[in-house]
Amino acid sequence: MNDFGDIAVIADQIQNDIRPVTFELLGAARELAGKLNVKVRAIVMGHQLGSIPTTLIHSGADEVYVVDQPELAEYTTLPYRRAAISVIDSFDRVPHIVLCGATTLGRDLAPRIAAHYEVGLTADCTELDIGEYEHKGKADPAKVGMYHNCLYAIRPSFGESLKARIIGPWKNPQMATARTGALIPCKPDTSRTGKIIPVKVDFKPDDFRVKVIETVRKVSSGADLLKAKIIVSGGFGLGGPEGFDTVRDLASIFKESAVGSSRKAVDAGWIPYDHQVGQTGKTVRPEVYIALGISGAIQHRVGMSNSRVIIAVNKDEEAPIFQFAHYGIISDLFEVAPLLKKEFQKSLAAAGAAR
Amino acid sequence: MSDGLKIVVLIKQVPDTSSAAGVNPDGTVDRARAKKMMNPFDKFALQKALESRRDHGGEIVAISMGPPPAIEVLNEALEYGADKGYLLSDRRLAASDTLATAYALFKTIEWIGGVDLVFTGLQTTDGDTAQTGPQIAERMGLAQVTYTETMKITGRTIRASRIIDGGLQHVELQMPALITVANSASKLEYKTFANVYKFKELARDPKALEGRVRAIDLDVIGANAARVGLVGSPTVVGKTWKLGEKGGTCKIFKGDAPAHEAQLLAGALAADGQGMEELLK
Repeated sequence: MNDFGDIAVIADQIQNDIRPVTFELLGAARELAGKLNVKVRAIVMGHQLGSIPTTLIHSGADEVYVVDQPELAEYTTLPYRRAAISVIDSFDRVPHIVLCGATTLGRDLAPRIAAHYEVGLTADCTELDIGEYEHKGKADPAKVGMYHNCLYAIRPSFGESLKARIIGPWKNPQMATARTGALIPCKPDTSRTGKIIPVKVDFKPDDFRVKVIETVRKVSSGADLLKAKIIVSGGFGLGGPEGFDTVRDLASIFKESAVGSSRKAVDAGWIPYDHQVGQTGKTVRPEVYIALGISGAIQHRVGMSNSRVIIAVNKDEEAPIFQFAHYGIISDLFEVAPLLKKEFQKSLAAAGAAR
Repeated sequence: MSDGLKIVVLIKQVPDTSSAAGVNPDGTVDRARAKKMMNPFDKFALQKALESRRDHGGEIVAISMGPPPAIEVLNEALEYGADKGYLLSDRRLAASDTLATAYALFKTIEWIGGVDLVFTGLQTTDGDTAQTGPQIAERMGLAQVTYTETMKITGRTIRASRIIDGGLQHVELQMPALITVANSASKLEYKTFANVYKFKELARDPKALEGRVRAIDLDVIGANAARVGLVGSPTVVGKTWKLGEKGGTCKIFKGDAPAHEAQLLAGALAADGQGMEELLK
């Protein structure tokens, strides 16, 4: 163990439903912790958390700091802010890195924690790494120098078709939020052991300025996108809402599949927003992504380009999607999709894996 | 409050990437040449500000931070019905990250004083961080509601619905507060003739307009220059590179017989060890 602080991951949970980004953050944190030779400390806040702390250990945490108090049963900014800061302050050393999900919770909470500590925070990262950085800019002589073991917070700059590596080694914790679906979780291992450390937080009356009247959660079909192994997505080339019948039909032959969409098709009202993949939709990383009639604009690409295999069908030879797909058919999707279905069914039947 | 609400709405000028101007062939943006527009997310914030004033009276002050030409978005905000605009413009602000930006805007809001409500868009289309709003709230010690879809004000009480992953959270709080508005909230309707006319009349007289849309700098608001710009920003962009320049690896099947192409594709998947049976394990 060296003198760096550890890596803290703030677990993302709503009403004791641990969000997938938590496991992805733990997976990335393990990698980073390996490079720095430090521990992964998870922070989980809520009420009646039950087996959640143990699950976090199985998923990669070395230590889990648990704030389990009735005031935290529902997420509101200020009590969670107080709890997170109290836990971080209770650490034996300032964490080197603090990670949150770029979710409605993480994007609400992380900026407040970063502003409280006056540290940098990089939003919506799709990759995290550790490396060195030499600051040469003379605007602030105090910053010039060579820095090692910096957090590389890597994010797409959507409007500009660029990826940027953001760095802030001057003050710890170096903070980042990461998009759901972008980082890779570790395989859960029930034999993993770790320490569970309860923390009691003293709230202030001011922390309860926002009262939750009601939380309504709907089971969304779009959520399947994040778990699906195969995603079949449709774009503007579908020509209308009925075009999604073709998409659904192809998706139906796979187990663990889901239907995705480009923003244009959502904007046109052909399919609900929770199917949207891309900049303002979801980031997905399925085993196979089949894009039907999707041009592959940058806004879409950033949400799916990490899929293991990308198959594109498009009439337009010039469509940008062919620049990053792995396999492509230049043809009419309505002709090709049923034929692909037949071919895939053959392979499935051959493997005895057909439905 | 008898004299209505004091409402601040934060507005940013961003490059319009839907316009070809300033967009390089590879998709990167030349910010100097790019056409500019009001950050689309801010229009939802402005709409909430207008609704709040419509129902409860008061004054809407639009604030923007940026180079002098950004005054355009404040003029536009006035055309939509905002009462006043302040452009915080100062060379020392260049390269501010979200923390430094939040400090500068916090100092501006503090300088205005007595604010009941601060509205911001959910995020900007050029930065996409959604961080500045909550960071201003932290500096001001304000309660916040992010991802707000609908809200209703009764006296000093705000009831709001905010989006959470897979649902909605209905909350209640007292003013003052900072509200970031989701892009699924009600849209900015249109510039009313009366507002546009009022603005045009105003614009005829530079002095009158100067009284309504004004450029200010760090000295006016009493901000510490060491906390903004490059010096006051804890993060820097270490490196940028173009997104995935890995063209040419796509195996393309093209011909007049879709059945054949489908077969070839399935065959290629299998040959490359990407057969569907593998993928489905």
